[in-house]
Amino acid sequence: MLTEPEIEVVRLSALVAGWSVAVSIVPGILLGWLLARWRSPLRALLQGTVMLPLVLPPVVTGFLLLALVGRSGPLGSAWEAVTGGRIAYTTGACVIAAAVVGFPLMVEGIRLSVLGVDPKLEMVSRSLGRGRLSTFLRVTLPLALPGVIGGAVLSFARALGEFGATIVLAGNIEGETRTIPVAVYTLMNSTDGEAGVMRLVAVSVAMSLAALLAAGWLARRQRAKAGR
Amino acid sequence: MSIEARVHHAFRGFTLDVKFESAGPVVGVFGASGSGKTTLLNCVAGLIKPRDAKIAVNTRVVCNRPGGTWTPPERRKLAIVTQDPLLFPHLSTRANLTYAPGAADALESDSGWKIIDVLRLKPLLQRNPGNLSGGEKQRVALGRALLSKPEMLLLDEPTSALDAELAREVLALLLEVKRSLSVAMLFVTHKAGELMALADDCIVLSEGKLVAQGPPVQVLSKPRAIGVANLVGVDNLLRLNVVRHDEEGGVTLLDLGGHDLAAPLCAAEAGQQVSVGLYADEIMLCLESPAGLSARNALPCRVTQIDAMDHEVLVNLRIGATDLLARITPGAAAELGLDKDTQAVAVIKTAACHLLG
Repeated sequence: MLTEPEIEVVRLSALVAGWSVAVSIVPGILLGWLLARWRSPLRALLQGTVMLPLVLPPVVTGFLLLALVGRSGPLGSAWEAVTGGRIAYTTGACVIAAAVVGFPLMVEGIRLSVLGVDPKLEMVSRSLGRGRLSTFLRVTLPLALPGVIGGAVLSFARALGEFGATIVLAGNIEGETRTIPVAVYTLMNSTDGEAGVMRLVAVSVAMSLAALLAAGWLARRQRAKAGR
Repeated sequence: MSIEARVHHAFRGFTLDVKFESAGPVVGVFGASGSGKTTLLNCVAGLIKPRDAKIAVNTRVVCNRPGGTWTPPERRKLAIVTQDPLLFPHLSTRANLTYAPGAADALESDSGWKIIDVLRLKPLLQRNPGNLSGGEKQRVALGRALLSKPEMLLLDEPTSALDAELAREVLALLLEVKRSLSVAMLFVTHKAGELMALADDCIVLSEGKLVAQGPPVQVLSKPRAIGVANLVGVDNLLRLNVVRHDEEGGVTLLDLGGHDLAAPLCAAEAGQQVSVGLYADEIMLCLESPAGLSARNALPCRVTQIDAMDHEVLVNLRIGATDLLARITPGAAAELGLDKDTQAVAVIKTAACHLLG
Protein backbone atom coordinates (compact mmCIF):
# COMPACT_ATOMS: atom_id res chain seq x y z
CA MET A 1 0.00 0.00 0.00
CA LEU A 2 0.90 3.68 -0.14
CA THR A 3 3.39 5.10 2.36
CA GLU A 4 2.56 8.07 4.55
CA PRO A 5 4.33 10.64 2.30
CA GLU A 6 2.68 9.09 -0.76
CA ILE A 7 -0.78 9.44 0.79
CA GLU A 8 0.07 13.06 1.48
CA VAL A 9 1.05 13.49 -2.20
CA VAL A 10 -2.24 11.99 -3.43
CA ARG A 11 -4.25 14.07 -0.96
CA LEU A 12 -2.48 17.24 -2.10
CA SER A 13 -3.05 16.39 -5.77
CA ALA A 14 -6.79 15.86 -5.26
CA LEU A 15 -6.98 19.06 -3.22
CA VAL A 16 -5.17 21.10 -5.86
CA ALA A 17 -7.26 19.67 -8.72
CA GLY A 18 -10.49 20.21 -6.79
CA TRP A 19 -9.63 23.82 -5.98
CA SER A 20 -8.53 24.51 -9.53
CA VAL A 21 -11.97 23.42 -10.78
CA ALA A 22 -13.71 25.33 -7.99
CA VAL A 23 -12.03 28.63 -8.78
CA SER A 24 -12.39 28.31 -12.56
CA ILE A 25 -15.96 26.99 -12.90
CA VAL A 26 -17.75 30.35 -12.63
CA PRO A 27 -15.41 32.26 -14.96
CA GLY A 28 -15.41 29.17 -17.20
CA ILE A 29 -19.21 29.24 -17.52
CA LEU A 30 -19.23 32.98 -18.19
CA LEU A 31 -16.49 32.73 -20.82
CA GLY A 32 -17.99 29.63 -22.42
CA TRP A 33 -21.32 31.40 -22.71
CA LEU A 34 -19.69 34.57 -24.00
CA LEU A 35 -17.69 32.71 -26.64
CA ALA A 36 -20.84 30.89 -27.78
CA ARG A 37 -23.21 33.86 -27.91
CA TRP A 38 -21.11 37.01 -28.32
CA ARG A 39 -21.33 38.46 -31.83
CA SER A 40 -18.16 40.51 -32.16
CA PRO A 41 -14.94 40.41 -34.17
CA LEU A 42 -13.12 40.45 -30.83
CA ARG A 43 -14.61 37.06 -30.01
CA ALA A 44 -11.99 35.17 -32.06
CA LEU A 45 -9.18 37.02 -30.30
CA LEU A 46 -10.66 36.26 -26.90
CA GLN A 47 -11.13 32.61 -27.82
CA GLY A 48 -7.51 32.40 -29.01
CA THR A 49 -6.27 33.88 -25.75
CA VAL A 50 -8.33 31.46 -23.66
CA MET A 51 -7.11 28.50 -25.70
CA LEU A 52 -3.43 29.52 -25.51
CA PRO A 53 -2.47 27.39 -22.48
CA LEU A 54 -3.69 24.32 -24.40
CA VAL A 55 -1.01 24.72 -27.08
CA LEU A 56 1.78 26.51 -25.18
CA PRO A 57 4.43 24.26 -23.60
CA PRO A 58 3.33 24.08 -19.92
CA VAL A 59 6.81 25.21 -18.89
CA VAL A 60 6.30 28.41 -20.90
CA THR A 61 2.86 28.92 -19.28
CA GLY A 62 4.57 28.46 -15.91
CA PHE A 63 7.22 30.99 -16.82
CA LEU A 64 4.62 33.56 -17.90
CA LEU A 65 2.64 32.98 -14.71
CA LEU A 66 5.77 33.37 -12.64
CA ALA A 67 6.45 36.68 -14.34
CA LEU A 68 2.95 37.73 -13.31
CA VAL A 69 2.61 36.39 -9.75
CA GLY A 70 6.27 35.95 -8.77
CA ARG A 71 7.81 38.26 -6.13
CA SER A 72 8.83 40.86 -8.70
CA GLY A 73 5.76 40.39 -10.91
CA PRO A 74 2.96 42.98 -10.79
CA LEU A 75 0.39 40.70 -9.12
CA GLY A 76 2.91 39.00 -6.87
CA SER A 77 4.37 42.24 -5.50
CA ALA A 78 0.89 43.75 -5.02
CA TRP A 79 -0.17 40.60 -3.12
CA GLU A 80 2.92 40.81 -0.92
CA ALA A 81 2.31 44.52 -0.23
CA VAL A 82 -1.26 43.80 0.91
CA THR A 83 -0.91 40.46 2.74
CA GLY A 84 2.80 40.20 3.41
CA GLY A 85 2.80 36.69 1.92
CA ARG A 86 3.83 35.33 -1.44
CA ILE A 87 2.03 33.38 -4.13
CA ALA A 88 4.79 31.53 -5.93
CA TYR A 89 6.04 28.27 -4.37
CA THR A 90 2.86 27.70 -2.34
CA THR A 91 -0.08 25.30 -2.68
CA GLY A 92 -1.95 28.31 -4.10
CA ALA A 93 0.57 28.47 -6.94
CA CYS A 94 -0.16 24.80 -7.70
CA VAL A 95 -3.87 25.65 -7.91
CA ILE A 96 -3.19 28.62 -10.21
CA ALA A 97 -0.99 26.55 -12.52
CA ALA A 98 -3.49 23.68 -12.66
CA ALA A 99 -6.47 26.02 -13.17
CA VAL A 100 -4.83 27.96 -16.01
CA VAL A 101 -3.71 24.86 -17.86
CA GLY A 102 -7.10 23.11 -17.40
CA PHE A 103 -9.14 26.22 -18.20
CA PRO A 104 -9.26 25.85 -22.03
CA LEU A 105 -10.69 22.32 -21.72
CA MET A 106 -13.40 23.54 -19.38
CA VAL A 107 -14.31 26.60 -21.48
CA GLU A 108 -14.39 24.64 -24.71
CA GLY A 109 -16.72 22.00 -23.22
CA ILE A 110 -19.06 24.68 -21.94
CA ARG A 111 -18.90 26.71 -25.15
CA LEU A 112 -19.87 23.71 -27.29
CA SER A 113 -22.79 22.78 -25.07
CA VAL A 114 -24.10 26.37 -24.96
CA LEU A 115 -23.90 26.40 -28.78
CA GLY A 116 -26.16 23.35 -28.70
CA VAL A 117 -28.90 25.24 -26.85
CA ASP A 118 -31.48 26.64 -29.31
CA PRO A 119 -31.37 30.46 -28.98
CA LYS A 120 -35.10 30.47 -29.78
CA LEU A 121 -35.72 28.83 -26.39
CA GLU A 122 -33.98 31.81 -24.80
CA MET A 123 -36.10 34.20 -26.88
CA VAL A 124 -39.33 32.49 -25.78
CA SER A 125 -38.16 32.70 -22.18
CA ARG A 126 -37.58 36.44 -22.53
CA SER A 127 -40.98 37.01 -24.11
CA LEU A 128 -42.54 35.09 -21.22
CA GLY A 129 -41.15 37.69 -18.85
CA ARG A 130 -37.80 36.26 -17.74
CA GLY A 131 -34.81 38.60 -18.03
CA ARG A 132 -31.36 37.77 -19.38
CA LEU A 133 -29.90 36.40 -16.15
CA SER A 134 -33.02 34.47 -15.19
CA THR A 135 -33.19 33.00 -18.70
CA PHE A 136 -29.55 31.96 -18.44
CA LEU A 137 -30.04 30.29 -15.07
CA ARG A 138 -33.37 28.63 -15.93
CA VAL A 139 -32.88 27.61 -19.56
CA THR A 140 -29.34 27.94 -20.93
CA LEU A 141 -27.38 26.60 -17.96
CA PRO A 142 -29.58 23.55 -17.22
CA LEU A 143 -29.59 22.59 -20.90
CA ALA A 144 -25.82 23.07 -21.15
CA LEU A 145 -25.18 21.20 -17.88
CA PRO A 146 -23.83 17.98 -19.45
CA GLY A 147 -21.17 20.09 -21.18
CA VAL A 148 -20.41 22.00 -18.00
CA ILE A 149 -19.94 18.74 -16.10
CA GLY A 150 -17.85 17.30 -18.91
CA GLY A 151 -15.67 20.40 -19.11
CA ALA A 152 -15.20 20.49 -15.33
CA VAL A 153 -14.17 16.83 -15.16
CA LEU A 154 -11.76 17.15 -18.07
CA SER A 155 -10.11 20.13 -16.45
CA PHE A 156 -9.99 18.22 -13.12
CA ALA A 157 -8.25 15.32 -14.84
CA ARG A 158 -5.89 17.71 -16.60
CA ALA A 159 -5.12 19.40 -13.26
CA LEU A 160 -4.24 16.01 -11.71
CA GLY A 161 -1.59 15.52 -14.38
CA GLU A 162 -0.24 19.06 -14.44
CA PHE A 163 3.59 19.09 -14.20
CA GLY A 164 5.44 21.66 -16.32
CA ALA A 165 3.77 24.86 -15.18
CA THR A 166 3.57 23.58 -11.61
CA ILE A 167 7.29 22.82 -11.27
CA VAL A 168 8.18 26.31 -12.59
CA LEU A 169 5.59 28.26 -10.59
CA ALA A 170 5.33 26.17 -7.42
CA GLY A 171 8.53 24.18 -7.25
CA ASN A 172 8.85 20.85 -5.48
CA ILE A 173 8.17 21.34 -1.78
CA GLU A 174 7.11 18.24 0.12
CA GLY A 175 3.64 18.59 1.67
CA GLU A 176 3.08 21.91 -0.01
CA THR A 177 3.60 21.68 -3.77
CA ARG A 178 4.67 18.09 -4.38
CA THR A 179 1.71 16.71 -6.38
CA ILE A 180 1.62 13.24 -7.99
CA PRO A 181 3.50 14.14 -11.21
CA VAL A 182 6.15 16.10 -9.32
CA ALA A 183 6.54 13.25 -6.82
CA VAL A 184 6.86 10.70 -9.64
CA TYR A 185 9.55 12.82 -11.26
CA THR A 186 11.38 13.13 -7.95
CA LEU A 187 11.18 9.40 -7.22
CA MET A 188 12.41 8.55 -10.70
CA ASN A 189 15.57 10.54 -10.00
CA SER A 190 16.22 8.81 -6.70
CA THR A 191 17.99 5.42 -6.52
CA ASP A 192 15.33 3.35 -4.70
CA GLY A 193 12.16 5.06 -5.92
CA GLU A 194 10.98 2.51 -8.48
CA ALA A 195 8.30 0.88 -6.28
CA GLY A 196 6.97 4.27 -5.22
CA VAL A 197 6.79 5.37 -8.87
CA MET A 198 4.73 2.31 -9.76
CA ARG A 199 2.31 2.90 -6.87
CA LEU A 200 1.80 6.58 -7.72
CA VAL A 201 1.42 5.83 -11.42
CA ALA A 202 -1.29 3.27 -10.61
CA VAL A 203 -3.10 5.79 -8.39
CA SER A 204 -2.78 8.46 -11.10
CA VAL A 205 -4.27 6.22 -13.79
CA ALA A 206 -7.09 5.09 -11.48
CA MET A 207 -8.04 8.63 -10.44
CA SER A 208 -8.04 9.96 -14.01
CA LEU A 209 -10.05 7.03 -15.32
CA ALA A 210 -12.55 7.34 -12.47
CA ALA A 211 -12.99 11.04 -13.22
CA LEU A 212 -13.64 10.38 -16.92
CA LEU A 213 -16.10 7.56 -16.21
CA ALA A 214 -17.94 9.71 -13.68
CA ALA A 215 -18.18 12.52 -16.23
CA GLY A 216 -19.67 10.22 -18.83
CA TRP A 217 -22.19 8.83 -16.36
CA LEU A 218 -23.25 12.27 -15.13
CA ALA A 219 -23.65 13.60 -18.67
CA ARG A 220 -25.76 10.58 -19.68
CA ARG A 221 -27.96 11.03 -16.62
CA GLN A 222 -28.40 14.72 -17.38
CA ARG A 223 -29.38 14.02 -20.98
CA ALA A 224 -31.88 11.39 -19.91
CA LYS A 225 -33.36 13.85 -17.43
CA ALA A 226 -33.67 16.46 -20.19
CA GLY A 227 -35.59 13.92 -22.25
CA ARG A 228 -33.25 14.02 -25.19
CA MET B 1 -56.83 46.82 -27.30
CA SER B 2 -54.78 48.70 -29.81
CA ILE B 3 -51.47 48.49 -31.56
CA GLU B 4 -49.64 51.21 -33.36
CA ALA B 5 -46.43 50.55 -35.23
CA ARG B 6 -44.04 52.30 -37.52
CA VAL B 7 -41.02 50.16 -38.31
CA HIS B 8 -38.12 50.75 -40.64
CA HIS B 9 -35.55 48.01 -40.40
CA ALA B 10 -32.98 46.91 -42.96
CA PHE B 11 -30.73 43.87 -42.73
CA ARG B 12 -29.03 41.60 -45.26
CA GLY B 13 -30.53 43.32 -48.28
CA PHE B 14 -34.10 43.14 -46.98
CA THR B 15 -35.98 46.22 -45.84
CA LEU B 16 -39.09 46.19 -43.71
CA ASP B 17 -40.92 49.48 -43.98
CA VAL B 18 -44.35 49.38 -42.39
CA LYS B 19 -46.71 51.79 -40.68
CA PHE B 20 -50.13 50.85 -39.35
CA GLU B 21 -52.47 51.13 -36.41
CA SER B 22 -55.27 48.84 -35.49
CA ALA B 23 -57.87 48.37 -32.80
CA GLY B 24 -57.89 44.58 -33.27
CA PRO B 25 -58.61 42.82 -31.01
CA VAL B 26 -57.16 40.18 -33.31
CA VAL B 27 -54.88 41.70 -35.93
CA GLY B 28 -53.84 39.43 -38.78
CA VAL B 29 -50.52 39.86 -40.56
CA PHE B 30 -50.82 38.25 -43.97
CA GLY B 31 -48.25 37.74 -46.69
CA ALA B 32 -46.03 35.28 -48.53
CA SER B 33 -42.88 33.90 -46.92
CA GLY B 34 -40.15 36.52 -47.09
CA SER B 35 -42.67 39.37 -46.97
CA GLY B 36 -41.45 40.47 -43.54
CA LYS B 37 -44.29 39.16 -41.36
CA THR B 38 -42.06 37.40 -38.83
CA THR B 39 -39.59 40.29 -38.76
CA LEU B 40 -42.45 42.63 -37.90
CA LEU B 41 -43.66 40.29 -35.16
CA ASN B 42 -40.14 40.00 -33.70
CA CYS B 43 -39.83 43.79 -33.69
CA VAL B 44 -43.08 44.02 -31.72
CA ALA B 45 -41.87 41.29 -29.35
CA GLY B 46 -38.56 43.09 -28.82
CA LEU B 47 -36.49 40.18 -30.14
CA ILE B 48 -35.17 42.37 -32.95
CA LYS B 49 -33.95 45.89 -32.31
CA PRO B 50 -35.09 47.90 -35.33
CA ARG B 51 -33.02 50.93 -36.23
CA ASP B 52 -35.91 53.27 -36.71
CA ALA B 53 -39.25 52.41 -35.17
CA LYS B 54 -42.05 53.43 -32.88
CA ILE B 55 -44.24 50.68 -31.47
CA ALA B 56 -47.05 51.16 -28.95
CA VAL B 57 -49.32 48.50 -27.49
CA ASN B 58 -52.43 49.86 -25.78
CA THR B 59 -50.83 53.33 -26.04
CA ARG B 60 -47.83 52.04 -24.01
CA VAL B 61 -44.74 52.84 -26.04
CA VAL B 62 -42.41 49.84 -25.96
CA CYS B 63 -39.99 51.02 -28.64
CA ASN B 64 -39.12 54.44 -29.90
CA ARG B 65 -35.86 54.42 -31.76
CA PRO B 66 -33.45 55.92 -32.42
CA GLY B 67 -32.93 57.66 -29.13
CA GLY B 68 -36.14 56.91 -27.24
CA THR B 69 -37.71 54.16 -25.19
CA TRP B 70 -36.55 50.57 -25.46
CA THR B 71 -38.46 48.07 -23.37
CA PRO B 72 -36.68 44.68 -23.27
CA PRO B 73 -38.87 41.71 -24.33
CA GLU B 74 -39.30 40.44 -20.76
CA ARG B 75 -41.06 43.65 -19.72
CA ARG B 76 -43.37 44.00 -22.74
CA LYS B 77 -46.00 41.51 -21.59
CA LEU B 78 -46.29 40.19 -25.13
CA ALA B 79 -45.94 36.41 -25.17
CA ILE B 80 -44.84 34.78 -28.40
CA VAL B 81 -45.95 31.42 -29.80
CA THR B 82 -44.12 30.25 -32.90
CA GLN B 83 -44.73 27.40 -35.33
CA ASP B 84 -42.23 25.34 -33.35
CA PRO B 85 -43.76 24.99 -29.86
CA LEU B 86 -40.31 25.49 -28.24
CA LEU B 87 -41.19 23.78 -24.97
CA PHE B 88 -38.31 23.70 -22.50
CA PRO B 89 -37.12 20.09 -22.82
CA HIS B 90 -35.62 19.91 -19.33
CA LEU B 91 -38.87 20.92 -17.62
CA SER B 92 -42.08 18.95 -17.07
CA THR B 93 -45.26 20.03 -18.84
CA ARG B 94 -46.47 21.62 -15.62
CA ALA B 95 -43.17 23.48 -15.13
CA ASN B 96 -43.40 24.70 -18.72
CA LEU B 97 -46.89 26.04 -18.08
CA THR B 98 -45.82 27.80 -14.89
CA TYR B 99 -42.58 29.13 -16.35
CA ALA B 100 -43.51 32.81 -16.53
CA PRO B 101 -43.26 34.93 -13.36
CA GLY B 102 -46.59 34.63 -11.54
CA ALA B 103 -47.80 31.80 -13.76
CA ALA B 104 -47.79 29.29 -10.89
CA ASP B 105 -50.28 31.46 -9.00
CA ALA B 106 -52.23 32.10 -12.18
CA LEU B 107 -52.54 28.36 -12.72
CA GLU B 108 -54.26 27.98 -9.34
CA SER B 109 -56.70 30.82 -10.03
CA ASP B 110 -60.08 30.56 -11.77
CA SER B 111 -58.79 32.27 -14.89
CA GLY B 112 -55.85 29.85 -14.94
CA TRP B 113 -58.13 26.82 -14.76
CA LYS B 114 -60.22 28.31 -17.53
CA ILE B 115 -57.11 28.41 -19.74
CA ILE B 116 -56.34 24.77 -18.84
CA ASP B 117 -59.94 23.92 -19.58
CA VAL B 118 -60.18 25.68 -22.95
CA LEU B 119 -56.89 24.18 -24.14
CA ARG B 120 -57.74 20.74 -22.62
CA LEU B 121 -54.37 20.65 -20.87
CA LYS B 122 -55.34 18.74 -17.73
CA PRO B 123 -54.49 15.26 -19.06
CA LEU B 124 -51.12 16.56 -20.27
CA LEU B 125 -49.96 18.06 -16.96
CA GLN B 126 -48.17 14.97 -15.66
CA ARG B 127 -46.56 14.04 -18.96
CA ASN B 128 -43.05 14.83 -20.14
CA PRO B 129 -43.00 17.34 -23.03
CA GLY B 130 -40.81 14.91 -24.98
CA ASN B 131 -43.71 12.44 -25.12
CA LEU B 132 -46.34 14.89 -26.39
CA SER B 133 -47.55 14.96 -30.00
CA GLY B 134 -47.11 18.05 -32.18
CA GLY B 135 -50.64 19.30 -31.56
CA GLU B 136 -50.39 18.68 -27.81
CA LYS B 137 -47.07 20.54 -27.65
CA GLN B 138 -48.62 23.51 -29.39
CA ARG B 139 -51.50 23.47 -26.90
CA VAL B 140 -48.99 23.55 -24.03
CA ALA B 141 -47.09 26.39 -25.74
CA LEU B 142 -50.34 28.36 -26.03
CA GLY B 143 -51.20 27.67 -22.38
CA ARG B 144 -47.72 28.69 -21.26
CA ALA B 145 -48.05 31.98 -23.16
CA LEU B 146 -51.58 32.66 -21.86
CA LEU B 147 -50.60 31.92 -18.24
CA SER B 148 -48.00 34.70 -18.45
CA LYS B 149 -51.04 37.05 -18.64
CA PRO B 150 -49.87 38.87 -21.75
CA GLU B 151 -51.53 42.06 -22.93
CA MET B 152 -51.31 40.61 -26.38
CA LEU B 153 -50.47 37.18 -27.74
CA LEU B 154 -47.98 37.18 -30.62
CA LEU B 155 -48.63 34.21 -32.89
CA ASP B 156 -46.12 33.36 -35.60
CA GLU B 157 -47.80 30.82 -37.89
CA PRO B 158 -48.78 28.62 -34.95
CA THR B 159 -50.34 25.94 -37.19
CA SER B 160 -47.71 25.76 -39.94
CA ALA B 161 -45.78 22.82 -38.55
CA LEU B 162 -48.93 20.73 -38.08
CA ASP B 163 -50.79 18.54 -40.56
CA ALA B 164 -54.12 19.81 -41.90
CA GLU B 165 -56.28 18.13 -39.27
CA LEU B 166 -54.22 19.31 -36.29
CA ALA B 167 -53.94 22.78 -37.82
CA ARG B 168 -57.75 22.98 -37.86
CA GLU B 169 -57.85 21.82 -34.25
CA VAL B 170 -55.36 24.47 -33.12
CA LEU B 171 -57.25 27.13 -35.11
CA ALA B 172 -60.47 26.09 -33.39
CA LEU B 173 -58.68 26.44 -30.03
CA LEU B 174 -57.46 29.92 -30.99
CA LEU B 175 -61.03 30.88 -31.87
CA GLU B 176 -62.16 29.55 -28.51
CA VAL B 177 -59.35 31.47 -26.77
CA LYS B 178 -60.46 34.63 -28.55
CA ARG B 179 -64.14 34.04 -27.74
CA SER B 180 -64.03 32.90 -24.12
CA LEU B 181 -60.79 34.45 -22.84
CA SER B 182 -60.98 37.62 -24.97
CA VAL B 183 -57.23 37.79 -25.50
CA ALA B 184 -55.84 40.26 -28.03
CA MET B 185 -53.58 38.77 -30.67
CA LEU B 186 -51.18 39.72 -33.40
CA PHE B 187 -51.50 36.76 -35.72
CA VAL B 188 -49.00 36.08 -38.50
CA THR B 189 -50.20 33.64 -41.15
CA HIS B 190 -50.03 32.82 -44.83
CA LYS B 191 -53.28 30.85 -44.75
CA ALA B 192 -56.24 32.90 -45.98
CA GLY B 193 -58.79 30.64 -44.30
CA GLU B 194 -57.18 31.16 -40.86
CA LEU B 195 -57.02 34.88 -41.40
CA MET B 196 -60.71 35.06 -42.34
CA ALA B 197 -61.71 32.92 -39.39
CA LEU B 198 -59.69 34.59 -36.66
CA ALA B 199 -58.68 38.16 -37.50
CA ASP B 200 -60.87 41.22 -37.01
CA ASP B 201 -58.51 43.46 -38.88
CA CYS B 202 -55.54 42.57 -41.03
CA ILE B 203 -52.55 44.02 -42.73
CA VAL B 204 -51.07 42.53 -45.88
CA LEU B 205 -47.30 42.65 -46.41
CA SER B 206 -45.46 42.20 -49.66
CA GLU B 207 -41.69 42.48 -49.91
CA GLY B 208 -41.46 44.36 -46.65
CA LYS B 209 -44.15 46.86 -47.48
CA LEU B 210 -47.75 47.21 -46.35
CA VAL B 211 -50.02 46.80 -49.37
CA ALA B 212 -53.46 46.66 -47.77
CA GLN B 213 -55.27 46.94 -44.46
CA GLY B 214 -58.85 46.25 -43.43
CA PRO B 215 -61.20 43.50 -42.34
CA PRO B 216 -59.90 40.25 -43.89
CA VAL B 217 -63.06 39.57 -45.86
CA GLN B 218 -62.71 42.96 -47.52
CA VAL B 219 -58.96 42.87 -48.05
CA LEU B 220 -58.95 39.34 -49.44
CA SER B 221 -62.00 39.71 -51.65
CA LYS B 222 -59.75 41.05 -54.38
CA PRO B 223 -56.51 39.15 -53.82
CA ARG B 224 -55.28 39.90 -57.33
CA ALA B 225 -55.25 43.64 -56.71
CA ILE B 226 -52.77 43.34 -53.84
CA GLY B 227 -50.64 40.59 -55.34
CA VAL B 228 -51.64 37.79 -52.99
CA ALA B 229 -53.75 35.74 -55.44
CA ASN B 230 -51.20 32.89 -55.28
CA LEU B 231 -51.37 32.89 -51.53
CA VAL B 232 -55.12 33.07 -51.27
CA GLY B 233 -55.24 30.41 -53.98
CA VAL B 234 -58.56 31.58 -55.36
CA ASP B 235 -59.57 34.74 -57.18
CA ASN B 236 -62.68 35.34 -55.12
CA LEU B 237 -62.75 34.79 -51.39
CA LEU B 238 -66.11 35.32 -49.73
CA ARG B 239 -67.37 35.06 -46.18
CA LEU B 240 -71.02 34.01 -46.46
CA ASN B 241 -73.84 33.20 -44.06
CA VAL B 242 -75.35 29.73 -44.11
CA VAL B 243 -79.08 30.01 -44.96
CA ARG B 244 -80.06 26.36 -44.70
CA HIS B 245 -79.02 22.86 -45.72
CA ASP B 246 -80.79 20.93 -48.47
CA GLU B 247 -79.60 17.40 -47.73
CA GLU B 248 -81.77 15.83 -50.40
CA GLY B 249 -80.41 18.17 -53.04
CA GLY B 250 -76.92 17.67 -51.64
CA VAL B 251 -76.25 21.36 -51.17
CA THR B 252 -75.90 24.01 -48.49
CA LEU B 253 -77.48 27.31 -49.40
CA LEU B 254 -75.41 30.40 -48.64
CA ASP B 255 -76.48 34.02 -48.81
CA LEU B 256 -74.68 35.78 -51.65
CA GLY B 257 -75.87 39.34 -52.06
CA GLY B 258 -79.48 38.40 -51.34
CA HIS B 259 -79.41 35.33 -53.57
CA ASP B 260 -78.98 31.71 -52.58
CA LEU B 261 -75.65 30.21 -53.57
CA ALA B 262 -75.77 26.43 -53.64
CA ALA B 263 -72.47 25.15 -52.24
CA PRO B 264 -71.43 21.58 -51.31
CA LEU B 265 -73.03 20.35 -48.08
CA CYS B 266 -71.13 21.48 -45.02
CA ALA B 267 -71.38 21.03 -41.27
CA ALA B 268 -71.78 24.70 -40.30
CA GLU B 269 -75.09 25.62 -38.71
CA ALA B 270 -77.58 28.06 -40.21
CA GLY B 271 -76.56 31.63 -39.41
CA GLN B 272 -72.88 30.74 -39.14
CA GLN B 273 -70.36 32.17 -41.57
CA VAL B 274 -68.20 30.06 -43.85
CA SER B 275 -65.36 30.97 -46.19
CA VAL B 276 -65.92 30.17 -49.86
CA GLY B 277 -63.37 30.42 -52.64
CA LEU B 278 -64.35 30.81 -56.30
CA TYR B 279 -61.89 30.64 -59.20
CA ALA B 280 -62.42 33.39 -61.77
CA ASP B 281 -62.34 30.90 -64.64
CA GLU B 282 -64.98 28.69 -63.07
CA ILE B 283 -67.61 31.42 -63.35
CA MET B 284 -69.58 31.28 -66.59
CA LEU B 285 -71.41 34.32 -67.98
CA CYS B 286 -74.71 34.39 -69.93
CA LEU B 287 -76.83 37.28 -71.13
CA GLU B 288 -80.09 35.57 -70.18
CA SER B 289 -81.04 33.07 -67.54
CA PRO B 290 -80.32 29.68 -69.17
CA ALA B 291 -82.84 26.83 -69.05
CA GLY B 292 -82.26 23.10 -68.43
CA LEU B 293 -79.04 23.68 -66.55
CA SER B 294 -77.15 21.23 -64.36
CA ALA B 295 -75.28 24.02 -62.62
CA ARG B 296 -77.21 24.96 -59.48
CA ASN B 297 -76.45 28.66 -59.51
CA ALA B 298 -77.57 31.24 -62.06
CA LEU B 299 -77.22 34.58 -60.33
CA PRO B 300 -78.26 37.88 -61.93
CA CYS B 301 -75.36 40.34 -61.84
CA ARG B 302 -74.11 43.62 -63.24
CA VAL B 303 -70.76 44.20 -64.95
CA THR B 304 -68.86 46.93 -63.10
CA GLN B 305 -65.54 46.88 -64.93
CA ILE B 306 -63.78 45.06 -67.74
CA ASP B 307 -60.01 44.63 -67.94
CA ALA B 308 -58.70 43.21 -71.19
CA MET B 309 -55.37 41.44 -70.73
CA ASP B 310 -53.29 39.68 -73.40
CA HIS B 311 -55.36 36.58 -73.98
CA GLU B 312 -58.01 36.93 -71.34
CA VAL B 313 -60.63 39.32 -70.16
CA LEU B 314 -61.22 39.95 -66.47
CA VAL B 315 -64.84 40.87 -65.80
CA ASN B 316 -65.74 42.46 -62.48
CA LEU B 317 -69.29 41.56 -61.46
CA ARG B 318 -71.56 42.78 -58.69
CA ILE B 319 -74.25 40.58 -57.17
CA GLY B 320 -76.18 42.57 -54.60
CA ALA B 321 -73.34 44.21 -52.69
CA THR B 322 -70.80 41.45 -53.39
CA ASP B 323 -68.06 41.79 -56.02
CA LEU B 324 -66.85 38.81 -58.03
CA LEU B 325 -64.15 38.40 -60.63
CA ALA B 326 -64.73 36.24 -63.71
CA ARG B 327 -62.22 35.37 -66.42
CA ILE B 328 -63.35 34.74 -70.01
CA THR B 329 -61.72 34.74 -73.45
CA PRO B 330 -61.59 37.91 -75.56
CA GLY B 331 -63.77 36.12 -78.17
CA ALA B 332 -66.50 35.40 -75.64
CA ALA B 333 -66.40 38.96 -74.36
CA ALA B 334 -66.83 40.30 -77.89
CA GLU B 335 -69.65 37.89 -78.76
CA LEU B 336 -71.61 38.72 -75.61
CA GLY B 337 -70.96 42.42 -76.17
CA LEU B 338 -70.07 42.86 -72.52
CA ASP B 339 -69.62 46.41 -71.36
CA LYS B 340 -69.78 48.35 -68.14
CA ASP B 341 -73.28 48.10 -66.62
CA THR B 342 -74.31 45.16 -68.81
CA GLN B 343 -76.85 43.00 -66.95
CA ALA B 344 -75.77 39.36 -67.10
CA VAL B 345 -76.19 36.04 -65.33
CA ALA B 346 -73.28 34.35 -63.54
CA VAL B 347 -73.48 30.56 -63.74
CA ILE B 348 -71.56 28.72 -61.03
CA LYS B 349 -71.49 24.95 -60.44
CA THR B 350 -71.89 23.81 -56.86
CA ALA B 351 -68.57 21.97 -57.08
CA ALA B 352 -66.87 25.25 -58.03
CA CYS B 353 -67.79 26.71 -54.63
CA HIS B 354 -64.75 25.68 -52.62
CA LEU B 355 -65.43 25.65 -48.89
CA LEU B 356 -62.36 26.85 -47.03
CA GLY B 357 -63.61 26.23 -43.49
